[in-house]
Amino acid sequence: MSETTLTAHAARLMRTRHGSIGAVILIAMALIAVFAGLLAPYAPLQQTAESLAEPSAAYLFGTDNIGRDIFSLVVHGARSSLLVGLGAALAALLVGGTVGIVAGYFQGPVEAVLMRIVELFQTLPVIILVLCAVALFGSSFWLLIAAVALAIWPMEARLVYGQYLKLRDRDFIAAARVADLSTAHIMFREILPNALQPVIVQVALDASIAILIEAGLGFLGLSDPDMVSWGRLLFVAQDYMDSAWWMSLFPGAAICLTVVGLNLFADGLNEVIDPRGSAGAGGLQ
Amino acid sequence: MLRFIGRRALYAIPLLLVIVVLMFSMLHLIPGDPVQALVGDYPVPPAYRQAIEEKYRLNDPFLVQVGNYLANVVQGDFGFSYQNQRTVLSLILERAPRTILLAAVSFGLAIPLGMLIGIACGTTRHPGVDKFWTTTALIAYAIPTFWLGQLFVMFFALKLGWFPTQGIGPMVSRTQGFAWVLERIRYLALPVMAFGIHEGMRIARIMRASVIDTLSQGYIVTARAKGLGRGQIIRSHVLRNSSLPLVTIAGYAFGHALGGAVLLETVFTWPGLGLLLVDAIRLRDNMTVVGVVIFSAIAVVVMNLVVDLLYAMLDPRIRTMR
Repeated sequence: MSETTLTAHAARLMRTRHGSIGAVILIAMALIAVFAGLLAPYAPLQQTAESLAEPSAAYLFGTDNIGRDIFSLVVHGARSSLLVGLGAALAALLVGGTVGIVAGYFQGPVEAVLMRIVELFQTLPVIILVLCAVALFGSSFWLLIAAVALAIWPMEARLVYGQYLKLRDRDFIAAARVADLSTAHIMFREILPNALQPVIVQVALDASIAILIEAGLGFLGLSDPDMVSWGRLLFVAQDYMDSAWWMSLFPGAAICLTVVGLNLFADGLNEVIDPRGSAGAGGLQ
Repeated sequence: MLRFIGRRALYAIPLLLVIVVLMFSMLHLIPGDPVQALVGDYPVPPAYRQAIEEKYRLNDPFLVQVGNYLANVVQGDFGFSYQNQRTVLSLILERAPRTILLAAVSFGLAIPLGMLIGIACGTTRHPGVDKFWTTTALIAYAIPTFWLGQLFVMFFALKLGWFPTQGIGPMVSRTQGFAWVLERIRYLALPVMAFGIHEGMRIARIMRASVIDTLSQGYIVTARAKGLGRGQIIRSHVLRNSSLPLVTIAGYAFGHALGGAVLLETVFTWPGLGLLLVDAIRLRDNMTVVGVVIFSAIAVVVMNLVVDLLYAMLDPRIRTMR
């Protein structure tokens, strides 16, 4: 995609209602994550004078049970949530995309075996497997990304596979074969660019699911204990529901806002790519 | 039809095999002493150690161990929970009905509600109605159920005092008959609401897309041309044809819920399979962890089978397909 069409696409995206709202939310979240150190009045783990203080001018979102400023924690939490979300979505794209490309391009046994494996992963209670993996092997940042990616890659594989299936018998591919272009060239240079658009939408949706899974793991106390994350804040909040509503409200709202942003962004992308909206309904299946 | 059922059932067996092997391998990958990995972080008396080594053939090659473990599972032997001093199977059998209750009531409310909203959005002449529900569904879908649960507990249970904050019932219950049912409903209300809203909105989204798709089909135009009324078209054509994708998605979601709504059960301390799993993970009661995962995999696979059958009943084309 050349520079000018990219800008044109972006401009069209910003003209869609959903796309523009989504983009604004995501850009704001990304800025918050990058400039967390400047925005947060306190270091994330620094204890202030008051514990369990209500939201006030001094502590915008209140303080937690050991006196940490919730606003600073939420701002810093954006980093891990966005990183894990984006990282897992990209990892899923890489694994699922490769499997989908190979399965979709080759007919016969390779296709059959790969797609059975994808189906297998789709029927497994993957979330529970992820939970066990993290529980048994401990949680680090990279393991978390790998575990979340494990849960979402089949969706990506199926989508890419479907695209390749649709394209592999088209005339321009037959022409490329006749021209004796290499398999790799046909797979990546001829088909891939044509299959890419719905995949980009799926990556945005994947990232939103990844953020929710990461939050869930954090809520169970299974995320990396050294990282501030929104899910983990909710894990702590669970014990203070009767005394400190703010410990739960703000981190949860941050998760919600980010996921809404990603979904709106995906909606907008869909509208730009496929104005008839036929691909739109398939987003969450 | 029978052949169709048989083929789908056969397909389920390798799936379960893979899961059992996967879980057993995972236990093996835990670094350190394999006996300790099986038992968890508890002191192991020498006699018990020997019994475990013999039972799981830990001195034999890996494949023999897997086969042996499989044989145990097939006989319903999921091992022994050192933490609870009970067999894992008895733990699962005690917890499963509670999870099933929660999931069944939630889906029992979410499916009709979601369908109704989906049909209303798909067929309405007022763009405002559609827009309202589409936006609501979008936001509801982004809310993590466990956070919604926390909000419900803080508002409806702690602030207003309408419902209990956690659990499945009071420690000691003196009520009987109808009053007992009412008491149970009060405990069910909040988890069901949190779960039902999430699933209901998901169903509404799918139903809406499906209804819009159905309405664009040729037979709807024909039905209109024949002079059928709006209500009649919705009842006799749209409802049945639009429900197909719903069966698949709702069925899978229900299967996964039976495997333990882990997060939701944690928020409400609902003593089902999900909470059993989380507690087992925290206490490193590995035998229970593996047992619950295998059980929930069975639940998912069985539910998928049920979905396939329902699908075949609703869509005659599938039955005759090879």
